[in-house]
Amino acid sequence: MRAVALRNIKLFFRDRSALFFSFLSVLIILGLYMIFLGDMLREGAGSVPGVDALMNSWVMAGILAVTSVTSTLGAYGIMVEDRHRGMLKDFTASPLRRRDLAGGYVASAVAIGLMMSLITLLFAELFIVLNGGEWLSWTGWLRVIGLMALSVLSSSSMVFLITSFIGSVNAFSSVSTIIGTLIGFLTGIYIPIGSLPSWVQVAVKLFPVSHAGALLRDVMMEEPLKQSFAGAPPETVSQFKLEMGIAFEFGSYTTSAAASLAVLALTTIICYGLSILRLSRKG
Amino acid sequence: MKRIIDVKGLAKSFGDVEAVKGIAFYVNQGSLFAFLGPNGAGKSTTIDILTTLLKPDRGEVEVNGYRLGKEDKGIRSSIGVVFQGSLLDPLLTVEENLLIRGSFYGFSRQALRAALDRACEIVQAGEFLRRPYGRLSGGQRRRADIARALIHTPSILFLDEPTTGLDPQTRRHVWDTIRQLQREQGMTLFLTTHYMEEAAQADYITVMDHGLIKAQGTPLQLKADYASDMLKIMPAHPGELSGYLSGKAIPFTVDGGIYCIPLRRTTDALAILDDCRANIGHLEIVSGTMDDVFMNLTGREVRNP
Repeated sequence: MRAVALRNIKLFFRDRSALFFSFLSVLIILGLYMIFLGDMLREGAGSVPGVDALMNSWVMAGILAVTSVTSTLGAYGIMVEDRHRGMLKDFTASPLRRRDLAGGYVASAVAIGLMMSLITLLFAELFIVLNGGEWLSWTGWLRVIGLMALSVLSSSSMVFLITSFIGSVNAFSSVSTIIGTLIGFLTGIYIPIGSLPSWVQVAVKLFPVSHAGALLRDVMMEEPLKQSFAGAPPETVSQFKLEMGIAFEFGSYTTSAAASLAVLALTTIICYGLSILRLSRKG
Repeated sequence: MKRIIDVKGLAKSFGDVEAVKGIAFYVNQGSLFAFLGPNGAGKSTTIDILTTLLKPDRGEVEVNGYRLGKEDKGIRSSIGVVFQGSLLDPLLTVEENLLIRGSFYGFSRQALRAALDRACEIVQAGEFLRRPYGRLSGGQRRRADIARALIHTPSILFLDEPTTGLDPQTRRHVWDTIRQLQREQGMTLFLTTHYMEEAAQADYITVMDHGLIKAQGTPLQLKADYASDMLKIMPAHPGELSGYLSGKAIPFTVDGGIYCIPLRRTTDALAILDDCRANIGHLEIVSGTMDDVFMNLTGREVRNP
């Protein structure tokens, strides 16, 4: 299992074009944000102090959530390609257990997801600080990294389940493109959830990656929120949190961090469970 | 002699297509076994079953004493496979590839290093060990493929068209390595090839077509049974020779003034030569080849890619 995982990690980081493309969604979001989305958001927020740091933290948290999907998607691309190239023949004719092989793919995807998330986090923090924001506190770093880990686990489980249905490399690249395009909308990153039509809002709230986004925003925007909304009534703050997708509202219930954590944990268990079921049925 | 591969009643269908229709054969330990047949004969299916990649519909297979379907792990530890296509990672170096694939066999770190050095010595991969597999020449790749298959010192090495697509010199080099493995390591070699001059060097040949085994035997036996030697005479007086052969009801063909007379036995030539001694300009006796055997058994030319 370790050998397969290490192989996949090496392959992922050595394939420069694939590496670039797994960053592409993130770069597009960042580009759009720097060109005009950022301005729109700042205008929408009105004249609160420290609006730059607030919005930068908001978009970076979203980007981190998206990274967990796009990076693991790239990692599982190795698995799809192995199937396509008949590479599995060489593994199958060796005394390598099937579950070690599958475990190797999962372990490498999670490891790649974590590494890419960490790299993204470093650049995100740098971006925030260079634009007048403040570094995360050290507990903030720890919490963000913990959330990233959970977010990578849950995103990788969804991607793994999806790839188990994909037979060809072409189908995989189509699915990658679709996911890469939609993910920014589905997690309410291009446009805050509050500005979306209500039926899209439902989709966003039900999409597990949005909950990773919410949790990350909650931590990364904690300090900027305190500064921007100092002295503001609590209703204003909670209204802003709902508008920006830091918490979600289902009827009269507003999600807590614990609820979002549970969504991620359940997603992980269900999707990996289903995938294992599918793989063992296929033999 | 011990049978290291023993196949009985093996059958496999894909939907309506019966790829393998109940075949039986065996391979002796330490032999060079050539498995021949035109494309679509069922060779690849059979090999995929023997190497545990495919489950058979019927039949019993024993490889190195392990029963297929029950002791697949034992089989997988006993065999090395050189696949037709390249199945190493192009972005990784040969060394990285070998260390990764070698770790499937449960070596300790030191033992793996020793196994790698030994495999590389056999195929002389030292010079390109640190280069990415994708940057190697065709011959170097093949040698790396063989090193990968040898890393755990298998008892049986499967080689699926190992020399196809290589230039003649590289082909010879790869072929020499294969022969050396058999001679020096006593390894059993299970080979498919399109090159009949390679097949002719095997200890035993099995020819398959349409999912069935058409013939088995040593190259000599097969040539005796399925190919005839040819007596070629360039006569001084062609009419005289035609008359003689027709009179004796000996079949012949004429090609560019050369009379070609297929012989049942090589010694049959002696009587003809005695009778026509005075009429012979040039003569030649050509042995039957494996190409003729293949042609006669399958009705097809060996397709040289």
